[in-house]
Amino acid sequence: MKLKTLFACSLAFLAAAAWADTAPKPPVNITAITMFLAFVLVTLGITYWAARRTKTTADFYAAGGGITGFQNGLAIAGDYMSAASFLGIAGLVYTSGFDGLIYAIGFLVGWPIVLLLIAEPLRNLGKYTFADVASFRLQQKPIRILAASGSLVTVIFYLIAQLVGAGKLIEVLFGLPYQSAVIIVGVLMTLYVTFGGMLATTWVQLIKAILLLSGASLMALLVLYHFGFSFENMFAEATKVHAKGTAIMAPGTLVSDPISAISLGMALMFGTAGLPHILMRFFTVKDAVQARRSVFYATGFIGYFYILTFIIGFGAIVLLLNNPNYFADGKLVGGTNMAAIHLSHALGGDILLGFISAVAFATILAVVSGLTLAGSSAISHDLYATLVLKGERNEKKEIRASRIATVCLGVIAVLLGIVFENQNVAFMVGLAFCVAASANFPILLLSMYWRKLTTRGAVIGGSLGLITALVLVVIGPTVWVDAFHFEKAIFPFKYPAIFSVSVAFIGIWLFSILDKSATAKAEEAAFDAQFVRSQTGIGISAAAEH
Amino acid sequence: MNQPEQIRQLPEYAELTRARRKIVWPLSIAVIVAYFALILAIAFSPTSLGAPIGDGVTSIGVALGLSIILFCMVITGIYVTYANRVIEPLTRAIVQKAGELK
Repeated sequence: MKLKTLFACSLAFLAAAAWADTAPKPPVNITAITMFLAFVLVTLGITYWAARRTKTTADFYAAGGGITGFQNGLAIAGDYMSAASFLGIAGLVYTSGFDGLIYAIGFLVGWPIVLLLIAEPLRNLGKYTFADVASFRLQQKPIRILAASGSLVTVIFYLIAQLVGAGKLIEVLFGLPYQSAVIIVGVLMTLYVTFGGMLATTWVQLIKAILLLSGASLMALLVLYHFGFSFENMFAEATKVHAKGTAIMAPGTLVSDPISAISLGMALMFGTAGLPHILMRFFTVKDAVQARRSVFYATGFIGYFYILTFIIGFGAIVLLLNNPNYFADGKLVGGTNMAAIHLSHALGGDILLGFISAVAFATILAVVSGLTLAGSSAISHDLYATLVLKGERNEKKEIRASRIATVCLGVIAVLLGIVFENQNVAFMVGLAFCVAASANFPILLLSMYWRKLTTRGAVIGGSLGLITALVLVVIGPTVWVDAFHFEKAIFPFKYPAIFSVSVAFIGIWLFSILDKSATAKAEEAAFDAQFVRSQTGIGISAAAEH
Repeated sequence: MNQPEQIRQLPEYAELTRARRKIVWPLSIAVIVAYFALILAIAFSPTSLGAPIGDGVTSIGVALGLSIILFCMVITGIYVTYANRVIEPLTRAIVQKAGELK
């Protein structure tokens, strides 16, 4: 029954794609569309296979816990290497050189922290979502509501950013109209997640990660070949052709004051450790050993990928600036985010362009699937199972709830993607990281390491962090001035993490130590047992049953 | 005495938490210090990061930035090696003893 629906939906999608083909837009990129359809067919095949294996909640949320450390490391890297970070960082390097590297480093430094402080205890304490960990010794209901809200806010902002980026990108790459592009992405991600759950989502992620890493490696190799494999030659040529000259080798305008610099650093570093779709990946592996291995591989892949992106950005400076074919009215066709795409054409003609375009589309699809799964799990596992089912064990109902949640999230994401078509999406990614760093990360970290944390402290402090992050972004320059067109921002800094993360930590600390109730004492007393389990994993196999 | 409390009394458990503390905090602090040192240099002294190395154009900033990426990979490598060599045997010993405690 379900599988029939899957087939019907896939046919509808292929028909939609075929129609969209004929849209009178920019030239249709046949190579890219063919390669992309191949990707879609393979992944739908995987979804069909996964759908038959997805029976329990453990299958749906965590692929039955049977993913190996290496696979999971690749999948984590896949979740993290979004089209935004590939095209965005390459574009940033293309426009301002060194500044692109600041982002690349920021996106990577969170990983050793995740490995050292979070990965193993998270795997030892939790089942499907990070709320499992935070509510281990605290009160289920308020903690799950808070953690699920933090997850959902993060997921939705990240989803909108990805979908708007996807629509714009596909418009330029494939010649499809914006709205049909967003709808196709929305339908596909909903299919993967609804039918295939975590198993299909993981495999989509694995294939995409391999495609992206090999595509980027090939491009970087071709660029380096052009410069005789010498970084110095590459930088020297780039400073000669770039309008800013040697200034591209130094920090520029990206971070202009110390507060913004530290704030951006905090958001990127701690935000990584609070992204729900990433944290969820630690529950797909068997134990803490595999969780540890996952982060080791993920860090390697992600670091390698950002070095490639940096090379690609510099390659774009030299190879594109000399070539008027990629410019219209003195501007790069499709904007600076297209630098990597144009470079692929300059390096390898239509075939490489088609391949990289298809990979970029596949990347968006994989990342939004991971996000959707994290969002639907927050709804079904944390909200529905705790509040509606009140902890009563009912796998069927919970899986059904997650499927309904997935479809709803898919619809909401597509609608928001269309509504926000002309919005600046950079601030939404920033906001997602900021919320993750201010609301999710402090609760997760303190629940694992701080004995005196109480439910009251976590709920009040976590909410304060979440609200501060949202309010400061809205009254800051990106929304107040750029989106609402007011003359001057009420809050002068673009990145509020230094304030909102501090508010969260201080709030949690203050309201925890002020809490003298009996439950607070019980929660403190339960810390030792929790810590033993977080360190050794003893008790986990018994817990994984329910 | 319940099981977690019994585990806490094991000598291996004390050794495990000590072994973890010994590696986790120095490495975490190393990453945080390296990263925020770069961020502060960007904020307070951007021109010094733009200074070229030797006679070329490759700047100190680019070299530092790429080194931090490699540094992150090395840190995770060090931790995983240490964890496999020191933490794993201790954890396994505790899990085995915990099985006997029941």
